[in-house]
Amino acid sequence: MDNADMEKTITVRDCWMSFPGKQSGSEIHVLERVSLDVAKGEFVCIVGPSGCGKSTLLNIVGGFLKETRGEVLVEGAPVDGPDPGRIFVFQENGVFPWLTVEQNIGFGLLSRPVAEREERVKHYIAMVGLAGFEKSYPRELSGGMRQRVEIARALAADARVLYMDEPFGALDFLTRLKMRADLIRIWQAEKKTILFVTHDIEEAVQLADRVLVMTKRPATIAEEVRITVPRPRDLDSPDYLAARDRIFAIMGMDAHGGGAV
Amino acid sequence: MKFGRTILIVISLWIAVITVLHGALNLRWFDKKAEVGTTKTFGVGFLPVTCHLTCPVTHFINKEMEGRDMFQPMRFSGWPELKEMFIGRSKDMPASFILAPMAIALREQGVKIKIVHLGHRDGSAVVVHKDSGIFQTADLRGKTIAVPGRYANQRLIIFRELKKVGMNFDDVKIVEMPPPDMPAALQSRAVDAITSGEPFMGQAELDGYGRTLWQAKDVWPGFISCVLAVHEDAIRDHRAEIQRLVNGIAASGKWIDQSMAHRMDAAQFVAANYYNQNPRLLSYVLAKPPDRVTYSRLKPLRAEFEEIERLGKEAGILQGTAHFEDYVDDTFAPDPMVVQAPHFEVKK
Amino acid sequence: MNRRLLHIILPLATAVLFLVGWHTAVKMSGSDIFPTPYEVLRGLGELARQGLLLKYIVASLFRVSWGFGLAVIVGVPLGLVLGWFRPAYAALNPFIQILRPISPIAWIPVAILWFGVKDTAPVFLIFLASVFPITVSAMAAVQNMQQVYLRAAQNFGLSGFPLFRRVIFPAALPQVITGIRIALGVAWLVVVAAEMIAVNSGLGYLIIDARNAGKRYDLVVAGMVMIGLIGLVLDLLVRRLEKFDEVRWGYGQR
Repeated sequence: MDNADMEKTITVRDCWMSFPGKQSGSEIHVLERVSLDVAKGEFVCIVGPSGCGKSTLLNIVGGFLKETRGEVLVEGAPVDGPDPGRIFVFQENGVFPWLTVEQNIGFGLLSRPVAEREERVKHYIAMVGLAGFEKSYPRELSGGMRQRVEIARALAADARVLYMDEPFGALDFLTRLKMRADLIRIWQAEKKTILFVTHDIEEAVQLADRVLVMTKRPATIAEEVRITVPRPRDLDSPDYLAARDRIFAIMGMDAHGGGAV
Repeated sequence: MKFGRTILIVISLWIAVITVLHGALNLRWFDKKAEVGTTKTFGVGFLPVTCHLTCPVTHFINKEMEGRDMFQPMRFSGWPELKEMFIGRSKDMPASFILAPMAIALREQGVKIKIVHLGHRDGSAVVVHKDSGIFQTADLRGKTIAVPGRYANQRLIIFRELKKVGMNFDDVKIVEMPPPDMPAALQSRAVDAITSGEPFMGQAELDGYGRTLWQAKDVWPGFISCVLAVHEDAIRDHRAEIQRLVNGIAASGKWIDQSMAHRMDAAQFVAANYYNQNPRLLSYVLAKPPDRVTYSRLKPLRAEFEEIERLGKEAGILQGTAHFEDYVDDTFAPDPMVVQAPHFEVKK
Repeated sequence: MNRRLLHIILPLATAVLFLVGWHTAVKMSGSDIFPTPYEVLRGLGELARQGLLLKYIVASLFRVSWGFGLAVIVGVPLGLVLGWFRPAYAALNPFIQILRPISPIAWIPVAILWFGVKDTAPVFLIFLASVFPITVSAMAAVQNMQQVYLRAAQNFGLSGFPLFRRVIFPAALPQVITGIRIALGVAWLVVVAAEMIAVNSGLGYLIIDARNAGKRYDLVVAGMVMIGLIGLVLDLLVRRLEKFDEVRWGYGQR
């Protein structure tokens, strides 16, 4: 395969997702001819306008949907359903409200010995900054704290790959900034492979090694933008602004004035 | 999960506690004096009406004289429940007091029961509101009359009286109503006339708003409302026991009719132990007048049943497909002339 | 005035107003059949002195506890299974929806034919009245469960019984408890009908027996009052279930 210098974690080749349309025989294509690669340990963002199929793509890679046509390989094997080694972080927050913070974080560890489980739970609670909230229930936490519980739950289960579907979408601006910084810190410490979906271009440029830009018609990846700004990223650096404006342009927007091309 | 465990413990404890309490208070599990139910008892169904008075009186006398009775009176609140238990659970309740036309109708419908004895004679009345302006049968035209049920003999007595003045069921409005609800219905003028067995007619009189139009004894002497019926299985397998039951009913009927003192005693112990009614009410209907309801001459007679059969057919409640020998077995009933009242006085 | 005090005073004021209205209405109508509140209270006192009140309350609670308890044991698992397995739902749901609207009163003849007139028959009737609301709410709880919990659980490799026990059941629990609360109300509601069968104890029996006893409508109303008061207590008790941390999330802000 091409690009053999890096070990591939995710490979999508010519992936289609179609539904039967209202008229018989017609088809609606949610995804058309999508191909992408994610290397091991890489942080890749997919951006696109709402309704472009980026969430659908992530759900296919995550094993919750089955593609109509094409090839989806993760860690060397075709995807056949969700896998405990590859955890999905949901936009609507999949933290179980009937469990405490520590029970939630330990959820993926029930087959492990008690001592190990407790140790890992403790470690990741500290990592996401939730020490002191071990016995709290999710309804007692803020949105940002709940999102951190979900990330800690994925990390504690020793997931090699994280799929994140607009995980910070429901948070306020400041919390979102902090969560991004935290996520990068954790990613650097844990060496996970992350595929991250967002409609927020700034977020994508702040987080990713590479940004894949999706368009609505055709519903496919239009272009790939490699972000070379060194971390921690200076949000006023020319490289950052250039990358951001490039993506705006691909999506048909003028970063400074807006409006269609 | 602390939630699950807490709930489970609380609920288990509650079920245990309420079961033990129910057992202790209502089922007498821990009552050492309670009869040890080694010998099988026969359930005998009855309603708290004077037509069934011989049932509790027999039970009471047997218990007082012999310490126990093999018959267990089973009290019901309404005809449908009594009938369902009687025809559906014949092992638990092989005998029951039941309306005579209902027994005949059940026989017509293929239920294998036989009338072995009468329960009483007379003891029914038609009562109207005192302000109603109904003074004779003809005044009932266009009025609403409450009867205890389709197969109640009170329905037939109304039919019989209407016929005498050239009317029929089309000239009145008949509604079915449980007898306990009748006095209140009459008081509120929901109906114009009520008819059932005592003490509910007496109650309407006693409370002041009811006036008796006529007593059954005055228009249909020897009127039979209820009879003792028994399943054929029980007749075949437990002849001796049925004989004992019939003898007891006949004898206690004689005992009730023996003196006014016995009637007053019966009113007291039946009201307190079996009917849960005001003793004053039972005393009233058993005494005023003393022949309002009687308990002698209880052997089933062909001519009387044939009249019920004929009236029932005319009134449209019976088919006429079952005859006296189908639904009556009069071999148990002793000759009323030789029945002796037991030598029994209530301990004061 | 502070709020807690208000929550005690307001219902009490309503009750007093109601009792005064009741008393006046009886007096004005001149009816000597319908009892005044005081006569009802005297009737209750009489029952209490005879020891009947306690006996009857115990008998009714016994029947409701068993009938309702069995309904929970049958209804919750049945509802969860029907909510989860589509073929089971397809096979059984129409049947349940047909049985559901049949009033327990209509079952009385059947209950007598099958169970006679011992405690079994009223227990059966109460069971019938409560098992359907419980089953239907458990079924709906699973069907309306947020998909994200299911996906998260599957992502962690859960399936089969562990998935049921650790995710589907707890996710459905708040709605199941709401169903249980409604069903307990229904169970208690049918106690009068259930005790119309010739049992010889219970609050429902008290009402029917009082009708037989001549002009004892004070006891009829006394039975109604006791059924109402105990119903209130039962509802308050079940509401406490909703306060547990494991299910509190399901009831929004209160």
